[in-house]
Amino acid sequence: MAVPTSTIRPAIRCLRNPARRGPSPLPSTHSFTTTTQRKDEALETTSTPSPLPPTLDPNTVSTPLEERQLLRTGVHPIGSRRRRAAILSSDNVPFEQMPYQCFQEARAVLAEDRSRKLVEIAEMRKRIVFWQNVHPSDLGGEYAKKGKLVRMQKYLEELKILADVNDPVIKKRFEDGVGDMNRPIYRYLADRKWREYKRKLLMQRISQMHIVPDVLPHLDPTAEVSLGFGRRNVQPGEFVDSRVSEIPARLKVQVFDKGERLVSIAVVDPDVPDEARDSFGSRCHFLAVNVPLSPTDTSIPLSRLKLEEHVVHHWLPPYAQKGAPYHRLAVFVIQQDDAGRGASLDVKALRESSEYKRDGFKVRKFVDQKPLKPIGMHLFRSKWDEGTDGVVTRAGIEGMNIEFTRKKPEKLPYKKKDGARYR
Amino acid sequence: MSPLSLRSPRLALSSHTSPSFQWLPLLPLHHSRPASHASQGRANKAAQGPGKRLGAKKGASELVVPGNIIFRQRGTHWFPGENCDMGRDHTIFAKEKGYVCFYKDPETHPKRKYIGVVFERGMKLPVPRNKPRNRRLGLVGREREMGTLATATPPRVTSGEGDDGLEVGGMTEQGGTLRQQDQRTRAKVPELKRMELRPGYQYRDSNWHIGRAAERAQIKVREYKRGDRFLAWRKLNARKARNAERRALSSRKKKGSKK
Repeated sequence: MAVPTSTIRPAIRCLRNPARRGPSPLPSTHSFTTTTQRKDEALETTSTPSPLPPTLDPNTVSTPLEERQLLRTGVHPIGSRRRRAAILSSDNVPFEQMPYQCFQEARAVLAEDRSRKLVEIAEMRKRIVFWQNVHPSDLGGEYAKKGKLVRMQKYLEELKILADVNDPVIKKRFEDGVGDMNRPIYRYLADRKWREYKRKLLMQRISQMHIVPDVLPHLDPTAEVSLGFGRRNVQPGEFVDSRVSEIPARLKVQVFDKGERLVSIAVVDPDVPDEARDSFGSRCHFLAVNVPLSPTDTSIPLSRLKLEEHVVHHWLPPYAQKGAPYHRLAVFVIQQDDAGRGASLDVKALRESSEYKRDGFKVRKFVDQKPLKPIGMHLFRSKWDEGTDGVVTRAGIEGMNIEFTRKKPEKLPYKKKDGARYR
Repeated sequence: MSPLSLRSPRLALSSHTSPSFQWLPLLPLHHSRPASHASQGRANKAAQGPGKRLGAKKGASELVVPGNIIFRQRGTHWFPGENCDMGRDHTIFAKEKGYVCFYKDPETHPKRKYIGVVFERGMKLPVPRNKPRNRRLGLVGREREMGTLATATPPRVTSGEGDDGLEVGGMTEQGGTLRQQDQRTRAKVPELKRMELRPGYQYRDSNWHIGRAAERAQIKVREYKRGDRFLAWRKLNARKARNAERRALSSRKKKGSKK
């Protein structure tokens, strides 16, 4: 607050966080949550635990040194450094006190629209309750009633999004990465952002690297999966050094629909050379089942999963024999029983069954036989490199003293011409 | 009435009037037109050349091996399908050993005709979209000696770039058996660590490092004094003596060679 009020730039003042210093501009508006224990927005921000010294506010740290100190405590700075510096030197006028007439009128329009949507939502809820109690024969059968209720529920969800989607505070909180994923609007925004680029890239890699016909017949990812080893993040389809992928991967899975569910995680290599058949086989590098997942609990480090409870096949480092074509490592996040949400699989039976052994593991078969649905996917590639021999020796993998070379090209059988022609 | 007048009244009239009748026989009997199109040269050179032997070189379900030409064409009447590729002049050739298959794939492209190669006689193309691809390994395995260096290096997996293991591993590729190289490389490790990839793609010391070689060998050089004439005189004499000696040596050589 060293800068006098007269010199504050208006644009900067627009950027400050109103919820932090002043009352929330739309305090009554944020009501759609799936969890009851969620705190109100204003409450959430004012009551943040502060073991940090006051200089290390994630909203205002603006020097690299302070940022590093903050990161060491496990808190990430919010937004850009330029914006944080701007917040530091601005007086934080809340939105409703800003002296811009047009802005205030725009806010009024948005607030009015929102209140209209809220009325509609309440109305819709009432109607849903009403139609739930109507006997199916009055609606033309059970099937018709179910369809009607599904349509109404879908419209209700749409209204919840429409009520909040124009709110500048919501937009800002989402961009800062502090949005509460239990609320439909933040899930909607996150989904939209994912579909804008990351999903497109993933789909491109899936089709380019033929994951879809080779590993699964069809795939429609609905959850964002990001993958990394240690500190290093991996882009879809990237070549990963064998020494890097020696440790189990860590996954971040963001689902965009509400609720807890159980997922299975399978890492499969469909490019295992099979010299006897002159073709390729597949191998499972990791399989875990019954892993809980929700929109707020996104992190799944494969090394921290409980061995007894979840892990069927522990992490086998990806490797490739010398001279073999590159191996694709496909990571699947598979939701267990889409309808019931939480049907668990029998870990022991899976471990003992001969169908789901490491060698020859087929994702198609795994997905087909259980009521499972793949919701997320990631892939990386690996090929033989200098570190592979070491990785393989440490992991105790045998049969790696083989080098693949090209077969000698065959020739067509020589066709002897008719001798009579040359007499 | 004369027969002439019967044929045409106008001619009959002109036969009566004398002046036009006078010059009619002066017209040339044989009329010739000048050429409007050149009979020789560039205009008439567009004759058909020799045939280019285009068309199918292999029939359907005929055996082909990698590199066999299946179809020669101008432009893309046919497109390369499974296990086929297209050459510089749109020639379709086989990439795998198998049997030729001419087909259409409306899901990929409704109007294109494709030529593919299937691995077994009687297999159909196109394969359904959700079916796994048929892939052939096409490689043979043979024994190799595992690198012992890789087993000796400690497990460092946190980062791949700038890893010491990477650099050392890169050095082993150059020649000799792996085991011998390991020993050599292990001795060199501290040296190699210091070296970096310089412009020109060579691992060598940095220039400042080379420049300080004398310092490292603890060679003392007398400090240069600007006006030290005594030292200059001694150096001059030494140089003169050296040159005289060299000249004497070379002249002796020359004399020897002349003999």
